[in-house]
Amino acid sequence: MGVLLLDIVTTAAILFAVASGLMIILGVMKLINFAHGAFLTIGGYAAFATTQLGWNPWLAIPFAALVGFILGLIVERVIVRPLYARPLDAILATWGLGIIIGQVITIVFGRQVQFVQSPISGAIEFLGYSYSTYRLILVALAALLAVALTALFYFTRFGLNARAVIMNEDLARGLGIDSTRVRLITFGLGAALASMAGALITPLISVDPNLGLPWLINSFMLVLVSGISIPSLIVASLILGGAQVVVSTYVSAILGGLTIVVLAAVILRIRPQGLFSG
Amino acid sequence: MVEQVQNGPAKGRRTAARRRSDLANVLKVSVAALVVLGVAPFFLDIYTINILIRALLLAALALTVDLLWGYTGILTFGQSAFFGIGAYACALVFTHWGFGAGWAILALALGILTAMAVAALVGWLAFYHGASPLYGSIVTLALTIVVTQIIYAGGRTTGSSSGLSGFPTYYWPLETWFWIAGAFLVVVTALAWLFVHSDMGRVLVAIRENENRCAYLGIPVSRIKILLLVASGAIGAIAGFGYAAFTNVVAPELAGFLLGTELLIWVALGGRGTLIGPVIGAILIDVTSSYLSGSLPFYWKLLVGILFVVVIVALPQGLMPEVTKIWRRFVPGARRKAEAPKLEPAPARGVVHGKEQPLTVRGVHRHFGSLQVLQGIDFEAKEGELLSLVGPNGAGKTTLIRCLADGYERSGGDITIFGKDLGRWPPERCVALGIGRKFQTANVFATLTVGECLRVARYRMAPPSIWTSDTTLGLPEAALRIVEETGLAQSLDTEARHLAHGQKQALELAMVLALEPRIVLLDEPTAGLTRVERERIGAILTSLTERERLSILLVEHDLDFVREISSRVIVLHQGKILLDGSVEEVVDSELVREIYAGTALNLKGDGP
Amino acid sequence: MSGEAAALAISGLTSGYGEAIVVRGINVTVAPGEIVALLGKNGMGKSTLLKTVMGFLPAREGKVLLHGGDVTKFPPHRIARQAIAYTPQEQAIFQDLSVGDNLSIGQPEAKWFDEELERVGEVFPFLKERLSQRAGTLSGGEQKMLLIARALMARPKLMLVDEITEGLQPSIIERLAKALLAERGRTGVAMLLVEQNVRFALEVADRWAVVKLGEIDDEGSSDTKNAAERIANHLSV
Repeated sequence: MGVLLLDIVTTAAILFAVASGLMIILGVMKLINFAHGAFLTIGGYAAFATTQLGWNPWLAIPFAALVGFILGLIVERVIVRPLYARPLDAILATWGLGIIIGQVITIVFGRQVQFVQSPISGAIEFLGYSYSTYRLILVALAALLAVALTALFYFTRFGLNARAVIMNEDLARGLGIDSTRVRLITFGLGAALASMAGALITPLISVDPNLGLPWLINSFMLVLVSGISIPSLIVASLILGGAQVVVSTYVSAILGGLTIVVLAAVILRIRPQGLFSG
Repeated sequence: MVEQVQNGPAKGRRTAARRRSDLANVLKVSVAALVVLGVAPFFLDIYTINILIRALLLAALALTVDLLWGYTGILTFGQSAFFGIGAYACALVFTHWGFGAGWAILALALGILTAMAVAALVGWLAFYHGASPLYGSIVTLALTIVVTQIIYAGGRTTGSSSGLSGFPTYYWPLETWFWIAGAFLVVVTALAWLFVHSDMGRVLVAIRENENRCAYLGIPVSRIKILLLVASGAIGAIAGFGYAAFTNVVAPELAGFLLGTELLIWVALGGRGTLIGPVIGAILIDVTSSYLSGSLPFYWKLLVGILFVVVIVALPQGLMPEVTKIWRRFVPGARRKAEAPKLEPAPARGVVHGKEQPLTVRGVHRHFGSLQVLQGIDFEAKEGELLSLVGPNGAGKTTLIRCLADGYERSGGDITIFGKDLGRWPPERCVALGIGRKFQTANVFATLTVGECLRVARYRMAPPSIWTSDTTLGLPEAALRIVEETGLAQSLDTEARHLAHGQKQALELAMVLALEPRIVLLDEPTAGLTRVERERIGAILTSLTERERLSILLVEHDLDFVREISSRVIVLHQGKILLDGSVEEVVDSELVREIYAGTALNLKGDGP
Repeated sequence: MSGEAAALAISGLTSGYGEAIVVRGINVTVAPGEIVALLGKNGMGKSTLLKTVMGFLPAREGKVLLHGGDVTKFPPHRIARQAIAYTPQEQAIFQDLSVGDNLSIGQPEAKWFDEELERVGEVFPFLKERLSQRAGTLSGGEQKMLLIARALMARPKLMLVDEITEGLQPSIIERLAKALLAERGRTGVAMLLVEQNVRFALEVADRWAVVKLGEIDDEGSSDTKNAAERIANHLSV
C-alpha cells in the first residue's frame, strides 16, 4: 500500500514535470505544441551528450533547459508565429517540426537505444519502505519546479504581463505590453521545460529518437483536463497518474498505458472546459 | 417544364433532367485510369508493383482523411484505426477460424461492421452540439491509441506487438492484387468525386466554413459528421482488409497514431479538399519512401518533414492548387466555372394564421457566473409585427436573441413558439419550430457561391442529393425578392467571399428567409451598410410583416431606422425591459431620452 | 496652437471591420492640454475611431500623428508606449487580476509606482486600501474609477477615454469629471473622450464633435450657448 502511494506520488511528479511546458505554451499562446515530445527527446539527448562528454550528470538538467530554450526561440520565430490565426494548422506544423527533430537526432546520434548515467542510483529507506532514491528526488524537483513557476508567474513583471496576455491579449497590447515578445519568451520557456523534463526522466528510461512520443499524448490530455493553472495540473497529475498506477498494478500494464487517454477523453466529454474551471 | 415540388420535410420528387452531374466525365476519367492501371503491371518490375499495391490501398485511406478534414474540417488522426480494424478482421478470421470464400466475406463484413460501429461511437463522443473542433481531434487521436493497445493486450490471439503473419490467404499473381487495389481506389475516388460535387458535398464545405451558421439553418451537423465518419470508417476497413489479405502480415502499427499522422501529411502536401491531390500525394510519397528506405531512410523522412512544415506555413492549400494554376495557364479554357442555377419560386406553404401566438416569453433570465445579463424578461410577439429591441451597449439585446434561437442559452424562464415549448432544444430544432436567425456580422459560407449558399439554406425544405446537383434553385418569394432586388441574382456563380459587404448582409438575410421562418430574429442587419442599402432592407422587412405576416424581432442601434419601420419597440436597459410600447410612446419617453442623450439613470427604484 | 505639435492629429481617417467601412474620412485634432469630446449614437463609429488610433484596426486611408510623429502603421503596444493611456469601453480591466496588478500594468516602472499610487490614491482613496482585492469583485462604479486610475498612473500626455460614464450614477460621474479636470490642470494632459452623456461631455471638454455614420456631422466649442441643444438634437430619437 505504501509503495503504491509512493508510486502514485512519483508518477504524478513526473507527469507534472513533463506536462508543465505544454501547459504554459497552451495558456499564453492558445497553441498546442505537438513538438513537445520532440523537445523531451532533445532533453534526453542533451543528458546523453552530458554523459558522453564526461560531465557531472547533474549538469544535464540546466544544459537541457538551455538547449531547449534556444531552440524554442528559433522555432517560435520561424514556424509558430505565422500560424497564430490557424490553431489547427499550428498543431500540424509543430508535429512536422517533431518529425524534423526526430530525424536530425537519428542522423546525429543513430537510431539505437542509448543509456544515460543516473546522477544518483540505488534505493533508500523512506517511511519504512525501500524506494528508488532518484524517483524520490524527482518528487522534490517537481515540487521545486511548481514553486519556481508559481513565483515566475505571480511575482515577476514577465509573469504579470503573461497573465495579462492570457486574460485579454488586446487589452494588454493597448496598455503597452508587447504580446509578441511575451509569446516568444513563453515558447522558449515551454521548450526549455520540456527539454529539462526529458533530461529528468532519462535516468529512468532509455534514450531513443522516439522517446518523447508516448509522453506527448499523456501530457496533452493532462493539460486539457487540468486547464491553465499550476495547482490544477498538480491535482490532475495525481488523479490521472494515480489511476494509471492503480490500473497498471491491479489490472494490466497495457491497460494502464490507456488509462490517462481514455479517462481524459471521458472527462472532457462530460466537462469540456476541464475538471477545475467554471 | 412545370412541376410541382412538394415542400416541407417530405422529399421533393424531381426528374432526372433537372439534375446535373459529372457522371459522364467521371466515367471517362475512371475508364482512362483503369486502362492505365490495367496495363501498368506489364511495364513495371515486381518490386514496384508490390509497393504500389500498398500505396494504392493507403491512397484510398488518405482519400477518407481528405473527405473528413479537407472538405468537412474535421482534423482526424484516427483513420489508421479503421485500416487496422479491417486488417485485423482479415488476419484474425483467417488465422483462427478458417479460410475460404465464405470466411473471406465474413471477415470483410466483420471488419466493416466493427469499423462502422467504432466510428459511430467515436462520432457520438466527438461531435456533439457545441463540441470544440480540438476535442474531436483528441478523440480520434485517443482512438488510435486505444485500438493499438487492445491489439497489444490481445496476447497470442492478436500476436501482441509482433502481430500476425503466415495465415492462409489467396496467393494470386501480383497483377491480380494490383488490379483489385487499383480498381478499388478508382471506384472509391469516383464515388467520392461525385459526392463532394453534389449538393450534399456543398453542405460539407458549409460545415467546414461555418458550422454555427449551419446549425442555425437547421442542418443536423452532428448527424452528418457522424455518418461521414461511419462511411469513412467502412472504406478504411475495406482498404485494411485488402492490405492484410495481400501482404499476409498485420502489426499494431497499422492502427497506430503514426500512420494516422502520416495520412495527414500526404493530404496536406497533396492539397486538402482536392481529392486527387491527396491520392497522388499518398502514392508518390509512399512509393518514394519505400524506394529510399534502403538507401537514405533518415534523410528522406527529414525532407518530408521539412516539406510538410513549409507547406503548412506557406502553402496551406497544398501543392495541388499550384499544379492546377500552372495547368490552367497553359491550357486555356480548362477552368471549370461553377454554373449558376436557374431560380424559381418555391410554392408557398399553407400557413394557418391566427391560431397560436408566434412568440411568448415568460420570466426569461440569463446569467454568466454572478453577472446577471437578463432578468425577468416578459413579452409577446404577434403575427405581422416588427418589434425592435433597442438599448445601450450591454443591455442584453444580443443575449436575448440568442436565448430565442438556442434552447441551451437561457438560465431560466419559458419560451413558447406557436404554442410549443422551446425547451432545451439545439438551434437546428429551433429552426424547425419556425425561427430564423441572422447574425450581427454577415455569416455566409466564404468559398461557396451565392447559389450554393442559398441551396445549403434550403437543406430542410429541399433535402440535397448526395450524388448530383440540381440545376434549378427554388426559393420562397421573400428570399427571391431580396436576391433579385439586391442584384444577387446576377452573381449566383460568384463566391460569397468576393461579395461587397452590403451584398453579404443581403445574402445572409436571403438565406434566413429561405428557411421559410415564421419568426425572424435580426441582429443589427444594417450595420455597416450605406443609407441606400438600409432603406432597401427596411422596405423589404416592412413588406415581410405586412404581406407574409411574419413576426420580426430587430436589434438596432440606429433609432431613425427603428422609428421608420417598427410597429412596436422594446427598450432594454441593464438586462431588464424598461419600456414596451408603440413607436410614439417610446419616442416621447423621458426615460429613453435620458438613456440615449445624457443624464445618467438611477434605476434604484425598480431594482430588487 | 503655434509651434508645438498637436497631441493627436487624425486626418482623413477611414477604417472598419472586414469590408464594412465604419469610419469615413474623419479629421480630429487635439492640442496639448486640450479636451475634445466625440458624441454620437451607438454604432456610429466613435469607438472604431479610437481602436484605429490605437492600431487595433488598420487605417485604410488617412493618418494618425501623435505629438507630431506618424504612428499610423504602429502596433498597439508601441502606440501605447508613446505616453498614451487608452481606456476601452468593454472589458477594460483585468477582472481576475488584483487591483494592484491592474494599476501596475498602467505603470510598469517599479520606481515610479509608489509615487504615482500616492497621487492617484488621493483622487480615489478606496484603491489604496484594496490593492490585493480581485478587480472583478469591485462594483461597476469602482471598476470605472480603477480604469481612470490606471490611466492616470501612466502619467500620460494623451488619454483616449471610451464612454467612461456608461451606466454610472450621477455622483460617480461627477467624481470622474473632477478627476479628469484636475489631472489636466496638474499635468496638462490632452484628452479625446467618446461620450453619449452630453452633460458630462460639455462639463469636461473644451470642444465637441458629433459623429454620424462614420463622419463628423457637427462640431463646436463647449462655450457656445446652444451647444447642449444642438447635440441633443443630433442624438434624439
